[in-house]
Amino acid sequence: MRILRYVGKRLIFIVPQLFGIILVSFLLVKMIPGDPAVLMLGPFATEEQLAKLRAEMGIEGTVLDQFWIYLKNLVQGDLGTSWQTTQPVLLDLFQRFPATLELITISLFLALAIGIPLGVAAAYFKRSMVKKFSDYYGLLAGALPDFWLGLVLIFFFYTLLGWAPAPLGRLDIAIIPPTPHTNFLIIDSLIEGNWQALWSALGRLILPVVTLGLINAGPILKMTQSTMERMLESDFIRYADTCGLPRSVVIRRALRNSLPSIVTIVSVLYGFLIGGAVLVEIVFSWGGAGQYAVQGVLNADINPVLGFVLFSAIFSLVIYLIVDLIYFAIDPRIRS
Amino acid sequence: MHPEIAAATRDPAVLSARSDAILAIRGLSVSYPVYGTEAVRAIRELDLSIARGEILGLVGESGSGKTTLARAIMGLLARPGRIDAGSVTFDGRDLRAMPEDALRAIRGKDIAMVIPNPRGELDPLVTVGRQIATVARAHLDIARDKSDELALEMLKAVQIPDPKRRFNAYPHELSGGMAQRVVMAMSLVCSPKFIISDDATSGLDVTVQAQILDLLRNLVRSHQTAMMFITRDIGITAHFCDRVAVIYAGEIVELAPTVRFFENPMHPYSVMLLAAFAHNPRLREKWHKPLASQIRAGTTGCPYAPRCVHVEDQCRGTRPALLELEPGHFVRCLVPVVRPT
Repeated sequence: MRILRYVGKRLIFIVPQLFGIILVSFLLVKMIPGDPAVLMLGPFATEEQLAKLRAEMGIEGTVLDQFWIYLKNLVQGDLGTSWQTTQPVLLDLFQRFPATLELITISLFLALAIGIPLGVAAAYFKRSMVKKFSDYYGLLAGALPDFWLGLVLIFFFYTLLGWAPAPLGRLDIAIIPPTPHTNFLIIDSLIEGNWQALWSALGRLILPVVTLGLINAGPILKMTQSTMERMLESDFIRYADTCGLPRSVVIRRALRNSLPSIVTIVSVLYGFLIGGAVLVEIVFSWGGAGQYAVQGVLNADINPVLGFVLFSAIFSLVIYLIVDLIYFAIDPRIRS
Repeated sequence: MHPEIAAATRDPAVLSARSDAILAIRGLSVSYPVYGTEAVRAIRELDLSIARGEILGLVGESGSGKTTLARAIMGLLARPGRIDAGSVTFDGRDLRAMPEDALRAIRGKDIAMVIPNPRGELDPLVTVGRQIATVARAHLDIARDKSDELALEMLKAVQIPDPKRRFNAYPHELSGGMAQRVVMAMSLVCSPKFIISDDATSGLDVTVQAQILDLLRNLVRSHQTAMMFITRDIGITAHFCDRVAVIYAGEIVELAPTVRFFENPMHPYSVMLLAAFAHNPRLREKWHKPLASQIRAGTTGCPYAPRCVHVEDQCRGTRPALLELEPGHFVRCLVPVVRPT
């Protein structure tokens, strides 16, 4: 009951939060110079043609007028049209957002699989090689740019060794893509039983996932290690040692008490990576949401940018809500 | 010099020669290395033995080495502390020679420890019943439902009201006194042969403290468990312990049967401690002179000399031995306090 009430309250607050986010991003985007009407119609367009197009696009009048028009359309589920793709933004995002989500979700699982065990080991064996290794790893992961690592991986595993598929999108061009139900390639090809597409999609995922996973394991490792160190020094873990509980039980208890911090850092990374993975997306020609938004910014294509911001905001808010529910599940002190 | 001193035997072996000793510490030295200078000496060549079923009170001020001694016995010294010398024999086994895993099997099963700040000692994410049951299962090789049963029994034994409901309570839902009872249940669940109580009741208010102490004593007595009862409150030891040991700067300065200790304290420090609890303002003031500094390795002489009201020149250069001045009454002082008869 308590949880339901809490979730209800959070959901109510999502609407004003989204409004604020849209307002701020709308104003910021409007500050980017450049007139899309001119860009679309070219240098030989007449003044009337330009005015007509502006009216169609809802970009005439004051900024507030434009915002009002945007909101009215938004309520009807219309995020406007991208003049670059000439498609509705909603449609574009439904195609691209899953591409990014698929990439960063799997990457985060890899990052967790690297970061948590390494962090736990480094915290438990304080004077070991593992600790040294994890220190250097954290430093390196923090210092290396992800796109550079991506390029190095491509150079070694595609150019030199030829083990990895070409860094050209999510699927081999020669393969018939599965019917887009969800636009998550893995899910779609599983639904259809299109093993060829599944195999190709998984193969193409490897290098970008390894890139993002290796880099983002850094913060997870650091957070796990420092929280675990604190927990292992805490009175109740020392008392567990005093009671002679087996090592595995002691470590499990410390890890469980560290989970809230780890969940927090993962949620922050998850929200961040939607846009933050853009350089890796570009390196691998991924065609994801981040790439779409950057193209929009560079070409005064406002609607994709706003649509992207809106989608990311909703996604982040949902993630944070899930995180709160996880806290609820982990910690009885929050429940009562 | 008092005639008794001349007749004293100087034989520390007397302390640990009792064949019924559950715990025998011989020549234990513990130090905390300090970067760039001499190590801090926390325990110095300490001899002590505790008989089966005996309750020994260990009294000392903060920083005197009480907790370090307890942790050294358990093999759980806080970093960077290390044992420099000596042996700890428990039930005929040399604990220092044991590998970590063997120690783990002894901790909580044969040697248990009760610690202050009970709520901090319990895992906030696990119900208290489960925590007690986990200790039982780790050591007793019993099935889950059996360990749950045992945990519930222990909750009853430590007189927690409504134990069935409390079994599923989380630590934050308990009062300090109740959490202390849970910690006691955890330490007693495997019926250990020896319990170290490290200032276990210091955080509780006086009435709860009295209840807990009564309970602890009854449980210990009924199980024939030996106990080292560490406290800063010398008054508690009077009612609670069979023998009293006073520790100062990592050395036992006086050790006597409780009655003898309170009738006839001989070390100047013991006298000061007792005076402090007797609310004598003049003596309190003297006693309150702070501990000059941490005792570094290589310091000679009596560590209490800088604060002692009886100090003589010889005290600064000679380390006094622990002498048996009357049967079972050991004092480490060159000029012990002798009351006129």
